[in-house]
Amino acid sequence: MDKKKKLRSKKIAGIRGWIQAAATLLTNPHIPNFFQGKIYQGKAKTVCVPGLNCYSCPAATGACPIGAFQAVVGSSKFKFSYYITGFLILLGVTLGRFICGFLCPFGWFQDLLHKIPGKKFSTARLKPLRYLKYIILAVFVILLPMFATNSIGMGDPFFCKYICPQGVLEGAIPLSIGNAAIRSALGKLFSFKFGILITVVVLSILFYRPFCKWICPLGAIYSLFNKVSFLHITIENSKCVGCNQCSRACKMDIDVCRTPNHPECIRCGACIKACPKDAIHYQFLGKTCQKKDTGDQQSEIRNH
Amino acid sequence: MKTKRTFIPVFTLSVALLLTACNGKEAADTKKTQTTQTESGTEAVTGSVAESETETAGASGTKLDDLYQQENQIFADHADVWNKVFGMMNKSTADPSGNYGDYLADTVEANKDSFSEDELNTLTDDIATIRKIEEQIAEMENGNTASEDSNAKNDSEEASPFRDFSGQDYDGNTVDESLFSKNAVTVVNFWFTGCKPCVAELSKLNELNDAIKSMGGEVVGINTETFDGNQDAIKEAAAVLESQGAKYRNLSIDSASAAGKYASDIMAFPTTILVDRNGNIVGEPMLGGIDNQENYDTLMKQIQSVIDADSAK
Repeated sequence: MDKKKKLRSKKIAGIRGWIQAAATLLTNPHIPNFFQGKIYQGKAKTVCVPGLNCYSCPAATGACPIGAFQAVVGSSKFKFSYYITGFLILLGVTLGRFICGFLCPFGWFQDLLHKIPGKKFSTARLKPLRYLKYIILAVFVILLPMFATNSIGMGDPFFCKYICPQGVLEGAIPLSIGNAAIRSALGKLFSFKFGILITVVVLSILFYRPFCKWICPLGAIYSLFNKVSFLHITIENSKCVGCNQCSRACKMDIDVCRTPNHPECIRCGACIKACPKDAIHYQFLGKTCQKKDTGDQQSEIRNH
Repeated sequence: MKTKRTFIPVFTLSVALLLTACNGKEAADTKKTQTTQTESGTEAVTGSVAESETETAGASGTKLDDLYQQENQIFADHADVWNKVFGMMNKSTADPSGNYGDYLADTVEANKDSFSEDELNTLTDDIATIRKIEEQIAEMENGNTASEDSNAKNDSEEASPFRDFSGQDYDGNTVDESLFSKNAVTVVNFWFTGCKPCVAELSKLNELNDAIKSMGGEVVGINTETFDGNQDAIKEAAAVLESQGAKYRNLSIDSASAAGKYASDIMAFPTTILVDRNGNIVGEPMLGGIDNQENYDTLMKQIQSVIDADSAK
């Protein structure tokens, strides 16, 4: 326990749960709306939040980038959503999938579900399913809303409408509880998507973050930037003894030693916590997130 | 580590409790809408606090219960003869909209020979009482559509955002609340140009407008992007309407007006409401497009009942 405090990276990884809670609360501050069955419709809704956070969540203060992207691409006025694409590139380049691990409410939701005790299964053999999310991104988020349009060029937000379980969890369920008119409008589509949510919930208890690994188009976008993002994970080769504890600790099935910046890495820091030699840490723009007090550290290592 | 281990069960427990609390609320909500269907119309308008809603709902709910209780007491008092009547009832002839007293009278009339004179006298007396109770119940349930009760009328006067109405059609002609008084029912459809399901139902709304014109109804569209006479938005909306063959009236209203505020509070589009001759909203707002046949039928039924209530006056 003491040793953790010596390293800022470990500290960050250690309080990840609290950062996730804070991020969820910050992007969903309008709690009273839950009881009134309405959504916040102020100016902040024109800005995107980094994580997968439904626009229709009563408490949400911003828009989901995936939803916004589809809405703009699918509208008859615009051909492509430059503002949202730019926003996603900016976030991708600065943080990459750190957003998945620390800021996304649906990621946190899956983390919490996975804490429910019981038998857990590895997803190492299901690696090919990872590519599914890129197909979903291309087909449901970009191509279908863009081209499956009506006579005046309007498309549906296909991902939001037919797949997204976060929309059911944050939007449909609380809104239909608080609003009688919306409750009366629920139909087959709701039942279908509620089924998806239940499936994701059950899978999240058995596997670690199945939605992030296989489905999430937002994670797919950020994953493309993981290799180049300002926020990196670095391994000090001089300290590494090749014990492979990091890879064993990794719940995203990454060989941390060889590919610390793999597209699947959500920067959760499990490897940082697991490393017996403190050889792994976060790095932002070339600066390591390590306490400068090296003397203290050395004494710590000697103590071991 | 220890704190973490205790945190998890505590958190799971609180989430579980939260969920059960939600369930309870939902059950209560459903009950509320069942008992006070007419009130929920104004409920959405004023966006009033939950407590006051439940209060009014509770009050009229107990009053209704009371009336039903009185009926049951009558049946209990003369249980022998009433059980005989109930045994003769034919389910298929029951008319749910008619007065229950009439229905009972019909059944007794049809089986007159099976009762003694004393029994018949008891039955006719009871039926007269029941008929009166039923009338009271019907009045409470119909609320502001049929009720002559001055109290109810005052309530809706305060609540309805369409009492003092002003707007402009897309050609610049001004419209006021006489828009509603000319027709028994006005179907007000809220939409916006970028809303695909809204656009999808425009042609169907035009059909509806043609269908209810002769019955004393009209469809009016309010596009929330065209507020305050925004000319660009009006042009766009007009182009979309034309592309869908929608010829019924569309209005631009003031966003600061009561109707404008009502429209700004709508979160799900398309939303369609019914407004009677006096500018009162009738029933609950309908969410979703009427290009869905089920929604169309539901709306048509509601329109018919508003027209019936209007001609009954």
